Amino acid sequence: MLVYILKRIVYIFCILAVMSVLIFAITQALPGNVARMILGEFATVDQIQAIEEKLRLNDPLPLQYWRWVSALLTGDLGDSLVMERPVAPLISLSLQRSAILAFMSLFCVASIGITLGVIAAVKHNRAPDYGISFFSYLGISVPEFFWGILIILFFARYLGWIPATGYVPLSEGFGTWLSHLIAPVATLTLTLLANISRMTRSSMLEELGTNYVTAARAKGLPERVVLFRHALRNALLPTITVLAVGVGWLFGGIVVVETVFAYPGMGRMLLFAIEHRDLPLIQAGILIITAIYSLSNLSADLLYAYLNPRIRYGRTIA
Amino acid sequence: MTDPNNILEVNQLSLAYDTSYGSLVALDDVSFEIKKGECLGLAGESGSGKSTVARAILGLLGPEATIKKGSLMYAGADLRELSPEEQRSIRGNKISIVFQDPFTALNPSLTIGAQVAEPLIFHKGMSKSEALEKAVDLLASVGINRPREIIKAYPHQLSGGMQQRVLIATALSCDPDILILDEPTTALDVTIEAQILDLLDELCRTRQLGVLFVSHNLAVINRLCERVCILYAGRVLEYGKSSEVFSQPRHPYTKGLIASLASLGSEATNNRLTPIPGGLPDMTALPANCVFQPRCPFKESKCASEIQHLATMDDGRTVRCWKAQKEANLRWTDLPSDHGDVPQKQKASFQPSEKGFIEASNLTKTFSSEGILSELVAKLSKLHVFRDLQRSPHVKAVDGISLAIAPGEVIGLVGESGCGKSTLARCMVRLIETTSGEIFAEGKEISREPERKLKHFRQSAQIIFQNPDSSLNPRKTVGQIIKRPMVLFGLSHNAELDRRVSELLEMVRLPPAYAERYPHQLSGGEKQRVGIARALATSPKFIVCDEAISALDVSVQAAIINLLQDLKEKLNLSYLFISHDLSVVAHLSNRIAVMYRGIICEEGVVEEVLRPPFHPYTEALLSAVPRFDDKTAETTRIRLKGDVLAMAETSRGCRFHPRCPRKIGKICEEITPPVVESASGHRIACHLLTDEK
Repeated sequence: MLVYILKRIVYIFCILAVMSVLIFAITQALPGNVARMILGEFATVDQIQAIEEKLRLNDPLPLQYWRWVSALLTGDLGDSLVMERPVAPLISLSLQRSAILAFMSLFCVASIGITLGVIAAVKHNRAPDYGISFFSYLGISVPEFFWGILIILFFARYLGWIPATGYVPLSEGFGTWLSHLIAPVATLTLTLLANISRMTRSSMLEELGTNYVTAARAKGLPERVVLFRHALRNALLPTITVLAVGVGWLFGGIVVVETVFAYPGMGRMLLFAIEHRDLPLIQAGILIITAIYSLSNLSADLLYAYLNPRIRYGRTIA
Repeated sequence: MTDPNNILEVNQLSLAYDTSYGSLVALDDVSFEIKKGECLGLAGESGSGKSTVARAILGLLGPEATIKKGSLMYAGADLRELSPEEQRSIRGNKISIVFQDPFTALNPSLTIGAQVAEPLIFHKGMSKSEALEKAVDLLASVGINRPREIIKAYPHQLSGGMQQRVLIATALSCDPDILILDEPTTALDVTIEAQILDLLDELCRTRQLGVLFVSHNLAVINRLCERVCILYAGRVLEYGKSSEVFSQPRHPYTKGLIASLASLGSEATNNRLTPIPGGLPDMTALPANCVFQPRCPFKESKCASEIQHLATMDDGRTVRCWKAQKEANLRWTDLPSDHGDVPQKQKASFQPSEKGFIEASNLTKTFSSEGILSELVAKLSKLHVFRDLQRSPHVKAVDGISLAIAPGEVIGLVGESGCGKSTLARCMVRLIETTSGEIFAEGKEISREPERKLKHFRQSAQIIFQNPDSSLNPRKTVGQIIKRPMVLFGLSHNAELDRRVSELLEMVRLPPAYAERYPHQLSGGEKQRVGIARALATSPKFIVCDEAISALDVSVQAAIINLLQDLKEKLNLSYLFISHDLSVVAHLSNRIAVMYRGIICEEGVVEEVLRPPFHPYTEALLSAVPRFDDKTAETTRIRLKGDVLAMAETSRGCRFHPRCPRKIGKICEEITPPVVESASGHRIACHLLTDEK
C-alpha cells in the first residue's frame, strides 16, 4: 500500500512537470503582445522595449521557462503583470471562495445523487426509476448557464427568495453568505447530478443481482440490511471514482457559473487573466487546478482502496 | 400421504416464468418429500428447474415467477401462504441454503465473522459479541482451524474450500430443520470436493437435518443421498432409492444419463460412451406429453399422444414413462448408437514415434507482480529496515517442465486448480511467453521466434477454450467465426470457403444451415462444437483442449467426448487435454501427466498411472473422485488436507510433502525427489520409489 501511494505521488509530480511545460508553451503561443497589453494601444516602441527589457521577455524561451519553474519550486508564483501584485495571495483568496462552492456542490451531488440512484435501482423499471432518469438526463443535457439564468429568473427575480448574483464574505453574517451561495451551488449540482445518480443506479443494480445479495436474502435478513449493508456498500466503490472525475467537471463548470452569478472565484480570475494576457496569473492558476484534479483523483483511489478489503489486505491466510 | 416424519412436502408444484416469449413452464407437477435426518438428491441438467425448486422453497423467486399450483408444506403450514415477513423469519433460520459458487456468495467487503453472525443477530436476537462468539464455535464445527483469526478475515483471503465451509457454517448457524445444498461442490476442486462431501456426510448423520441436495453430478448424489429425484425440463421423471435408481434405472432418460458418464473402472475405459442424442429441449416450446420423447430411442407414437403420469413401480419408485414397467430391463447400450462414420474400436495401445510433434523442454513461466518500482521495492525489502514492505513478487506457475506429445497422441493433464495446467498449455502454443526453456514444434525450436515467423506453427496448433459463451464473438455468425482462421492463413477462398465451412460443420455434426446463426442462438453443446470446428478450420495437428467439456451438461459431454475421439482418429490429431475430471481424462487419453504446483509429479500411460496409482498425489486425486461404479473405493479413501493455494511455498524438498499422506520423513522435506523413468516411459518424482528399492 505504501508503495502504491509513493508511486502515485511520483506520477502526480510527473504530470505536473509535463503540464508546466504545456502551460508555458500555450501561454507563449497566445496571440497578442504582452507589453502592448500592459501599456495600452498607444504605447510607443520605446516604451514596449523598456517593458520587455524589464520583464526579460526577449530571453530565449527555455531560459524563461527555467526562471519560472525554479521560482515555482521555491514557492514563488511570480507577480501579476496587470495588477502588479504577487500572484499567490490573489489566487489563494479566489481559490478559497471557489473551494467553498466546489465542496458544497460536491456534497450536494454526492448525497442527492446517491440517494436518487439507490431509489432508482430499488424501483427498477418502475415510475420512480423513469422519473429520476428523465430529470437527471435533463440536468446533464442542458448547459450550466441556462440553469443559472433560469434560477436567477425564477428564484431571485420572480420569487425574490435569494439574491441574484454576487458574493458576500462570511463576516457579514451566515445567512447572507449562504443565500449568495445557493444559486451557484444548485446550478453546479444540477449539471453533475445525472452522472452520479446514473452510476449509483447501475452499480446498485449490478450489486442487487450478485450472488451474495441473494445469499443475504436467503439468510432471511430484513430488506434494509440487504440493501444498505450488502449492496450499497459495494455499489459505492465505482461511484467514488466517478465523483473524483466530477471534480474535473466541476472546475469546468465553475468558470461558467462564476461568470453567470458574478461570483469572484478562481474561474472568474482565470477568465480575467486570459482576457488581459496576464501570463503569470494564467500559468499559476492552471497549474493549481491541475494539482487539485490530480490530488482529488489520488484521494478517491485511496478511499477506494480503503473501502475495498481486496486491496487493503493481501491474499490467502487459510 | 402425510407422514409425521416428513419435514418438507412438495406437492404437485407447478411454476411458470413470464418471459418476453410468453409464459414458460419451469416446473410441472413436481412432488417429493424430505424426511427428518434424510438426504434427498435432486438431479438434473441445466434448465431442468432444480434451482427453481430450491428458490421456491425459500420464497426467493423473483417477481416474474408465479406458482400456478401445488403446495410447499413445512411444519403444518403451506410456505406459499405465509406473509413475506413470516417467510423471511423462516429463511436462514429454519430453512437455509448453501449456494454453488462460494466466492460469489460471500460479500467481499464484510468480514467472515460478520457474515456468519448475521442470521444469529436477526433471527435469534443475539448481541453482536454473542453472535461472533457463536460464529467461532460454528466455524470450528465445520473444520476450520484458527476460527478466531478467520472471523476477522475477508472472503478473498480464504481458499474456495474454506469459503464453502464458511457458508455451510452460516447455513447451520440457527440450527435449521432443512438444509438446501445447491450444487455445493461444483465450483471446487476434486480434492476439496471430497473434503466438503465428507463434512456434509458427517453433518447429515450427526444433526437431525433434512437435506435437499441439488446437483447435476449423479456420482456425488449417489455418494450422499438415500433417495433421488431425477428432474428433466421441470418434470420429475424418476423418483426412488438412489441405490435402485442408479443400478437399475427405469426411465430412458436416467438410463441415458448413466450410460453417458465416463467411468474410471478399467473395463469401461475402452468403450465408447453412449450419449443421449440431441440437446436439452427449448423450454418455451416443449414437446407434448412426454418431454423426453424427441431424444428417446425407445419412443413410440403413444409417447406423444398420451399424457404421461408418474406411475409407481413394483419396487416402490415412481417413473414417468408408460413403458417403464413393461420394458424395465431394456438397456440403453442395447440400442444402435450414433457411432457415425467411425467404426467402434478399442483404444489402440499407443506406440509413440521417435519424435514428438510438440515438445517442451525445461519450461519455466514466472509471473512477476508488476513494474520497475515494485521490483525496486522487492530488492529494498531484502534489507532489514524495509522488511515490512516485503511481499512475494514472483510466482512460478510452471517450473522446469518437460513434456512431449507425439502425433496422434492424447495427453491428459490433471491437477488441482492453480497448479499451472492452463499456463503450461498456453506456453506450449505460445499464447503467453515463457520465462525460460525451449519449445520444439516438429523438431524446430520456436520459443524465441518472433510472431511473424510463427505463421506455420499458429496454423498447426490450436486451442479450444472452456467457456464457449465467451470464446465466440457474439456479433459474428457461426460461418464467419469458422471462416476467420482460414482467411487469416489464406487457406481457402471464395466459394471454397463456404464449402469448407459446411464440411467442418458436418465434421462436428452440426447442420450446414447453422453457418447463418449467431452464437446466442445455439445451445451450450452446439457452441462448443462451433469452437471445435473453428479450431479444426486450419487443419491443425495439435489442439489444446483447456477444460473444453467442463461447462457442458452430462448428456451433451459424452457426445463431445466421442466427437473429439473420432476426429482424433480420423485426422491423426494430438491433444493436450486439460480437465479436472479424472474419469474423462482417463477415458480419452493415451498418457496422463499429473501436475502439482508447477511441476509434473507423475507421467505415463493411463493404465500405469491410474491402475494402481503410485505417486501419493495421484492416489489422492483418484480416491477423491466420487465413484459411481465402484463402492469399494469409498472405504479406502485418502483425504488431502488443506488446499494448494493456501500452502506456503516450499523452497526445499518435495513440493507435495506438507500434504502427503505417505511422507517418509526428513528426506521429503529436504531433497527434491529425482524424476525416475521406467523402461515403459513412466516417469515418477517421489522418494517412495527409491525407498522401495
